[in-house]
Amino acid sequence: MTLDETKAGLDAVEEGPHLSERSTGSADGRIDDPDGHPSVVALLLRFGDSVSGHRVSAGTQHVVWIDSARNLEVLHWLRDDQDHQYDMISDITAVDYGAGRPIDVVYQLFSTVHKRALRIRCELPLDGLEIDSIVELWSAANWLEREVYDLFGVTFRRHPDLRRILMPHDYEEGHPLRKDFPLRGRFSRAEQTRRALDQSVEHSYIAEEMDLGRDPQQAAPIIGTKDGDG
Amino acid sequence: MGLRDVLPGGGTSSVTGGMFGDASPTFLTSKVDWIINWSRRNSLWPMPFGTACCAIEMMASAASNYDLARFGMERMSFSPRQADVLICAGRVPYKLAPVLRRIWDQMPQPKWCVSMGACASSGGVFDVYSMVQGIDTIIPVDVYVPGCPPRPEGLIYGLMMIQEKIREESLSRHFEHRAEDPSSVARPHANDAQVVGLTGPFGNSTQQEELSNKESGATEESPEELIP
Repeated sequence: MTLDETKAGLDAVEEGPHLSERSTGSADGRIDDPDGHPSVVALLLRFGDSVSGHRVSAGTQHVVWIDSARNLEVLHWLRDDQDHQYDMISDITAVDYGAGRPIDVVYQLFSTVHKRALRIRCELPLDGLEIDSIVELWSAANWLEREVYDLFGVTFRRHPDLRRILMPHDYEEGHPLRKDFPLRGRFSRAEQTRRALDQSVEHSYIAEEMDLGRDPQQAAPIIGTKDGDG
Repeated sequence: MGLRDVLPGGGTSSVTGGMFGDASPTFLTSKVDWIINWSRRNSLWPMPFGTACCAIEMMASAASNYDLARFGMERMSFSPRQADVLICAGRVPYKLAPVLRRIWDQMPQPKWCVSMGACASSGGVFDVYSMVQGIDTIIPVDVYVPGCPPRPEGLIYGLMMIQEKIREESLSRHFEHRAEDPSSVARPHANDAQVVGLTGPFGNSTQQEELSNKESGATEESPEELIP
């Protein structure tokens, strides 16, 4: 990290916290200074019609909003293009800003070749929470997308194994991190306790999935590797 | 006056070969209750169910500085079938509730339970959709140790209270003490009304909705009127 970057980060700290209204994911077409990040310039040149916004967050973090219909295409290009090579998906998450605003799916990318980070966001309207899965690009996306599905209810098309990962498999109260979800759940505590004890322990804790003490080679097959041995 | 003098037949017995010399008796009298309770309370084997930061303090209690072995807890029993005390240290989410219940069901009688820390005892700050609001809704609890997390001294004090509880037990009231409905296996310990009562102080979301509906009942039909 250069001295300039450090200074920019410290300036962001000086500015203090933002109201959530100001820092929301509304991609209003505004493009902040893209020259600080070569991948943002390249994205604007190549996918200019799909980029719906750009911000520099916390001093050095470049955030690009793209059309949710083209996420697979854009991310594929970012991963494979020689000038960018974002070979690591650090995180996939989502943000619900409430009040009927769209839910943002967030991809945090890192290039171990160029030592660069980039954040890609896709807005999904509440009545169309569907987006293409990127498990075929990064296997690590498998569980991350399952987590987003579990907690936000975003459906990932063509995901090989889209089911709940944190909440119980038969959880019927919905998706807990949505803003419209009541903090203490939808059922009474007595009903929640009863349902919890009705769960089959074997269903939640599958011995094969835990893979304790097993040879790593015999562990569960990794789905959708780059070599395509699925 | 030595022990020999207070024992039955002490000093005058003609039986030889006793444990206190030639003139001592070969038997001691006591109460069965006392012997059983003494042996039980000084050989408790804890089953550690550590799920969070409380478990770190529990480990510290077992380590050399605090040394739970002084209380006959020579070994943490990681199998519930050889355990006497369940120490539930940490928060228990609903997904883990059937596991905790099954471990309790697997422990042989007589058995006791320590709820260690605020989260295990009441849900703590996690008054949310995913968290059991006190393990006493799921299994019977003998001692609650407060703290977030409690210091090892707190846990040791709780275990000494368990020992004190055992000291007061009697075979004549054994089944009264240890009675558990056989049909309660894998079922909640508390009934619905108790669960609702225990999960205060703010009540659960259903109650809240009922309350808020009552309060806004008058204006429910025409909320527009409220807007100037």
